[in-house]
Amino acid sequence: MASPDHLFGLRNSFYIGAYHAAITSSQSVPAHALLSPDDLLDRDAILYRSYIAIGSHQLVIGEIGPSAATPLQAIKLLALYLSGDAGNRESAVSRLRELLSDAATGSNPILRLMAGTIFMHERDYAEALKHTHSGGNMELLALNVQIYLQMHRADHAEKQLRVMQKLDEDHTLTQLANAWVDLVMGGCKIQEAYLIFQDLSEKYPTTCTILNGKALCSMHMGNFEDAEGLLLESLNKDAKDAETLANLTVCSLNLGKPATRYLNQLKLACPEHTLVKRMSSADDSFDRACQAMA
Amino acid sequence: MAMHSLADNPAPASNGHEALPPNDTAPTLVTPIDLLPSSSAYSSLPLPPDPPPPPRRSSPRPGLEGLGLRRRGGWGRQAARMLTKFETKSNRVKGLSFHPRRPWILASLHSGVIQMWDYRMGTLLDRFDEHDGPVRGVHFHATQPLFVSGGDDYKIKVWNYKTHRCLFTLHGHLDYIRTVQFHHEYPWIVSASDDQTIRIWNWQSRTCVAVLTGHNHYVMCASFHPKEDLVVSASLDQTVRVWDIGALRKKTVSPADDILRLTQMNTDLFGGVDAVVKYVLEGHDRGVNWASFHPSLPLIVSGADDRQVKLWRMNDTKAWEVDTLRGHMNNVSCVMFHAKQDIIVSNSEDKSIRIWDATKRTGIQTFRREHDRFWILAAHPEMNLLAAGHDSGMIVFKLERERPAFCVSGDTVFYVKDRFLRFYEYSTQKEVQVAPIRRPGSVSLNQSPRTLSYSPTENAVLICSDADGGSYELYIVPKDSAGRSDYLQEAKKGAGGSAVFVARNRFAVLEKSSNQVLVRNLKNEIVKKSPLPIATDAIYYAGTGNLLCKAEDRVAIFDLQQRLVLGELQTPAVKYVVWSTDMESVALLSKHAVVIASKKLVHRCTLHETIRVKSGAWDENGVFIYTTLNHMKYCLPNGDSGIIKTLDVPIYITRVVGNNIFCLDRDGKNKLIAVDASEYIFKLALLRKRYDHVMSMIKNSQLCGQAVISYLQQKGFPEVALHFVKDEKTRFNLALESGNIQIAVASAKEIDDKDHWYRLGIEALRQGNVGIVEYAYQRTKNFERLAFLYLITGYLDKVGFMCKIAGQNNNLMGQFHNALYLGDAKKRVEILENAGQLPLAYVTAVTHGLTEIAARIAAELGENVPALPEGKSHSLLIPPAPLTACGDWPLLRVMRGIFEGGLDATGRAELEEDDEAAGADWGDEDLDIVDASEVVENGGDGFVDVEEGEPNEEDGEEGGWDLEDLELPPETETPKASGNARSAVFVAPTPGIPVSQIWTQRSSLAGEHAAAGNFDTAMRLLSRQLGIKNFAPLKPLFLDLHMGSHTYLRALAAAPVISVAVEKGWSESASPNVRGPPALVFSFSQLEDRLKAAYKATTEGKFPEALRQFQSILHTIPIIVVDSRREVDEVKELIEIVREYVLGLKMELKRKELKDDVTRQQELAAYFTNCKLQRVHMRLVLASAMALCFKQRNYATAAHFARMLLENSPQEAQARKARQVMQACQDKEDSHQLNYDFRNPFVVCGATYVPIYRGQKGDVSCPYCGSRFVPSIEGQLCTICELATVGADASGLLCSPTQLR
Repeated sequence: MASPDHLFGLRNSFYIGAYHAAITSSQSVPAHALLSPDDLLDRDAILYRSYIAIGSHQLVIGEIGPSAATPLQAIKLLALYLSGDAGNRESAVSRLRELLSDAATGSNPILRLMAGTIFMHERDYAEALKHTHSGGNMELLALNVQIYLQMHRADHAEKQLRVMQKLDEDHTLTQLANAWVDLVMGGCKIQEAYLIFQDLSEKYPTTCTILNGKALCSMHMGNFEDAEGLLLESLNKDAKDAETLANLTVCSLNLGKPATRYLNQLKLACPEHTLVKRMSSADDSFDRACQAMA
Repeated sequence: MAMHSLADNPAPASNGHEALPPNDTAPTLVTPIDLLPSSSAYSSLPLPPDPPPPPRRSSPRPGLEGLGLRRRGGWGRQAARMLTKFETKSNRVKGLSFHPRRPWILASLHSGVIQMWDYRMGTLLDRFDEHDGPVRGVHFHATQPLFVSGGDDYKIKVWNYKTHRCLFTLHGHLDYIRTVQFHHEYPWIVSASDDQTIRIWNWQSRTCVAVLTGHNHYVMCASFHPKEDLVVSASLDQTVRVWDIGALRKKTVSPADDILRLTQMNTDLFGGVDAVVKYVLEGHDRGVNWASFHPSLPLIVSGADDRQVKLWRMNDTKAWEVDTLRGHMNNVSCVMFHAKQDIIVSNSEDKSIRIWDATKRTGIQTFRREHDRFWILAAHPEMNLLAAGHDSGMIVFKLERERPAFCVSGDTVFYVKDRFLRFYEYSTQKEVQVAPIRRPGSVSLNQSPRTLSYSPTENAVLICSDADGGSYELYIVPKDSAGRSDYLQEAKKGAGGSAVFVARNRFAVLEKSSNQVLVRNLKNEIVKKSPLPIATDAIYYAGTGNLLCKAEDRVAIFDLQQRLVLGELQTPAVKYVVWSTDMESVALLSKHAVVIASKKLVHRCTLHETIRVKSGAWDENGVFIYTTLNHMKYCLPNGDSGIIKTLDVPIYITRVVGNNIFCLDRDGKNKLIAVDASEYIFKLALLRKRYDHVMSMIKNSQLCGQAVISYLQQKGFPEVALHFVKDEKTRFNLALESGNIQIAVASAKEIDDKDHWYRLGIEALRQGNVGIVEYAYQRTKNFERLAFLYLITGYLDKVGFMCKIAGQNNNLMGQFHNALYLGDAKKRVEILENAGQLPLAYVTAVTHGLTEIAARIAAELGENVPALPEGKSHSLLIPPAPLTACGDWPLLRVMRGIFEGGLDATGRAELEEDDEAAGADWGDEDLDIVDASEVVENGGDGFVDVEEGEPNEEDGEEGGWDLEDLELPPETETPKASGNARSAVFVAPTPGIPVSQIWTQRSSLAGEHAAAGNFDTAMRLLSRQLGIKNFAPLKPLFLDLHMGSHTYLRALAAAPVISVAVEKGWSESASPNVRGPPALVFSFSQLEDRLKAAYKATTEGKFPEALRQFQSILHTIPIIVVDSRREVDEVKELIEIVREYVLGLKMELKRKELKDDVTRQQELAAYFTNCKLQRVHMRLVLASAMALCFKQRNYATAAHFARMLLENSPQEAQARKARQVMQACQDKEDSHQLNYDFRNPFVVCGATYVPIYRGQKGDVSCPYCGSRFVPSIEGQLCTICELATVGADASGLLCSPTQLR
């Protein structure tokens, strides 16, 4: 605990969504810091996950060879899962199950993290939790928080958050998870979420993630004008950021402004985004309901 | 004021420490104590204890004093530290007096010398050495440049310190003089003497005006009451006496001759009536050494050889002893009340100063010195300063720190004043008292708050003080409590050297003993502990999550989360830390230095001050403004500094806004000082290369002065300085320095002396400005140079001209030179001839083949024709002909350089990543992975091996080692396996209910269902409530509602986003996890806006557009949700309004389609007038119907419309037209029969556009919009709203939750 964490900056960049910064800084971990093999593996894991986060799935798939360590293999599976069609997904999931069933590797935290993430995408929350519920590191706990939130079980999410707070209340992930929970809980908690994002933006370089967080809080507090400003700032940083586009769509709608352009941009940039999917399914359900009424 | 006369004092004032008066005798060495080694070589000669009264006479006399040097005393270890401001080392100090305004103090010594010190600068200003023997009393006059002294030579001397002269001496006392004091108002001096008398003198008439007799032993002290006509005295006769001098005052006030007074005095002597004893205070068992009045209350305090301090009280008729303070171990030498605090200060020959609580009469504090007995105390009349004289010098000190604890946050500064937390708003300049803070439990000194830290978001204040050995208190101020002073909050407390907020809701507390910080939350619970990297004695804020740790000789910024030192810097002991608003720069203030560093503690500059640095703040331009004890100064980013103004009293800067400096003074008052910032702003602009600013400042402000010019010259901006200078010589020099030749020429013309022209020539030549070089040479008449210049620039004709001039001036040599330059051999021969150098002329002529001339000269020479050397070919010195005669050479662009590129300072590329090193890391990593997998493989293999090998035979020791190695993997796996096992037991909780589902469960409002994405229920609701059947127009609205109801939160990277439901009506006090209704993207107010737009389109006659707008309103209303009943009514009203317009517009459009059927056209126009429209539209409709009918000669109907139009307050043009129509139609019949009877009220069928007259049975209506239809339309889709089925059953519009209650 007392020894400085050389990967701190790297991890932190990754958590707050500064993926490019994470990628560049992974190349320049201080020279004096003699990284242990574990650290090196961690570093690579974050590097590849950053690439996934910015959508460079193919790069990750290409770079992680068959001989790479299990955690990296797991990351590759995630890239594969996110990049491809249904077939790819299936094979990724089945390969993942294989890895998980292997007693020697099945408990690796990164593997479990990836499993949780993939099963979350599969909407199989029970399966996801099966691998992540025991925690083990901050990220797994944070993922638990997210899964519970996704399951609309804010009560469980709060419990996980409390575990995180006990471990390290000031950890960036704890702060973020706290903000997530606050945001979902709503009410007066939204202000606290806003303050957390505000703190983060003061402490670290602003990222789309943080700006989106702030904008979300503003929107939920009914302040769509402010939110629009924040989202436009975020769009300035990354014109293709899916969440920014999605939230801008929502925000514009609420302001009574045309939102189709953002929606179309989103459809182009990220056809798999929840908002896009939700809209197409809403479209279908409308038509179905219409028919039922007829 | 008196500084001038003192300026030539030889005492060195430079370093603020040392001051050695010249010609001083060895014993009165004046050296600051802290410069001497503690074991200095003074011989220790113990003094006999002070003898009782009679032997007192034989106590050290002047001669003995010289031997009385002893080891330097130091403060006892156990004694609390005192706030020493200044210390001197000298002979025994017997008398002290503060100057009322200047930072000066007089010290009268046992050696007979009176010293005047500047205790702020720490310098000896002057010394007065005319007394013979010890000087025991000394006192400054309150207003005049005077002081009085009294000594063992029986003399009272009055001095003018400005002129450094003793003005006169008052004779009269017959023994040692103990104390002297000026009256604060009258020209009196009171003196106490061993001759058992007290005398009052008039120093203007230089006479004794009263002799107070009654004491029957030495009078040790006497002093005037600060306000009343009283004198208090103390004597070795064991009494304190209070004297009434009212009669004396009356006499003085009444005009009386001093000479007369003198005679009177003589008669009064030893029995005078001017001053009578009022009270004799008896109670001390031994001689009393000191007595003094309370500044405002009728109290007296006295100290005596019985080691006691006594407190006395008096009223008009009597005086009595109140209490006795015991504690001193030896004779009490001096005692007084503190002017501002409720305390008594006494000192004693027991080598201590004691502080007593005047109310509780208990000792508070003892300051002890090891070897020095104390003799005298003095209090500053205005300031919170005390001085004490002892055996080997004196000290100036104070008891309480005076710096108010404060913290600047945004537009406010929080500070503590009089036990109240207050804040001051800069923009409004308003002070607000926030809350009272705790009084310290124990009465002790310096328990007041030292530092204050504020967290704006939580409105929390952290106050640190020295109470209880260092402690903090945390106050969380409710936002609305400002101004409620009665509100006392229970503070959360804790022990710790210093405490400071490190984040919104976290503060760090220094635990010195273990050198770690405890991070606490607002509940005062420990969240984290972290050891500190350096031995820290104070911590300061350094950005969120970071601490600036201060050690004895360095500071470091420590990241609490990473536990990393982000930066470290060697500094003198830092006292205060001031961050710039952008947190990019920090100023570290120590006692005598200001260090400026970056946020990573990269050193930028250090300024050293000779006197104490007090405070500072950053201005918005990055200039650091700071104060010392007596100056306000600036420091530019490059370390240049200067004085802004002089200060009379110390102030603490809190904030700088432009020219305005906000500060707190020692009384905790906020002040605004306006300063002239132009000098440092100017210098900053220069430094930042903002030459546009520089120029505009030069043009607009009065920035003159030698200082600025020399600054500019020094900093390499002579051309900027040029703009200030009027003096031509300076201007010329600056112009040369900056290479501005034009200005130099102009100046040179003004000055017009040879030297300047010469220097101009040199510079012009350097620049290649030939014209000016020529001009300069011409002005200096430097013909040789000029000619040479012409030669090399190719102006041969001018060389010829020069040649002529030289000839005129009889300058043969010059002429010859020029001829040589020209290559004109004839000329040279001629010149030589004229000069009488015939042989030379001959040789030249011959050599150049000028045979004729040579022959002529040869003839003149006769026999003396020189012989030319034979057999040598000659080369002639003919200068080459210039190719071209040119003007100036290409000039250096000197002037531009400095004003160009002023704006290049922005964004330089960030540091490149070290690719190579990273590559190496990559390599390492790859290897490691391979290694690891190899190990695993080997391990696996080995495992098999061993299993096989074991039954066979043992491999020996190494095999045994292998075995142990190989058993490890399963062991480490065990816990993981158990982890897996746990996971098998784990049952994931069932998913909860999405917020959208909650919405639909609770609501019967279609809009909310649609937002939740439950389109089928939404539709069912609409069908039931409004009979809506056709949902197609609602599709985009439903989708928008649904889309706008959730936001998207990206949590962990690559994991699915969380969609968060947006709820309506958020408020700060809303409790979490209580779901509100969804926020809908369509609002009633939007519809009102749309209605306005539709009206506008109608007015403009854009009917299709208007229709579209109205219909969209009609389509949106079913999914609108409003909050109140009133709004529900408004919505219903809106439906009606819109319905009428839709109907009307539809008919109008229909009418336009009909080209042929004029009757139907008129009917439709007529029906349109039946719609309820806005008046403006009604007029238009009526006008159009009127025109149409008139044209078709349906005069009666037209007249009807005209009448209606007139009723609708038409514009003048419309009205005129209507009146004309009325007139034209009078009594005329309709030519066509219209299905329009305006007398009979009717509605128009929305589908067939036929009137349904009142009373007509069987009409049907739309359940939603309420449009009416003829019965045949029943069951069809309403043509007006296009949503509902005409005649369908419906429960009615439901658009507000209030309708359900």
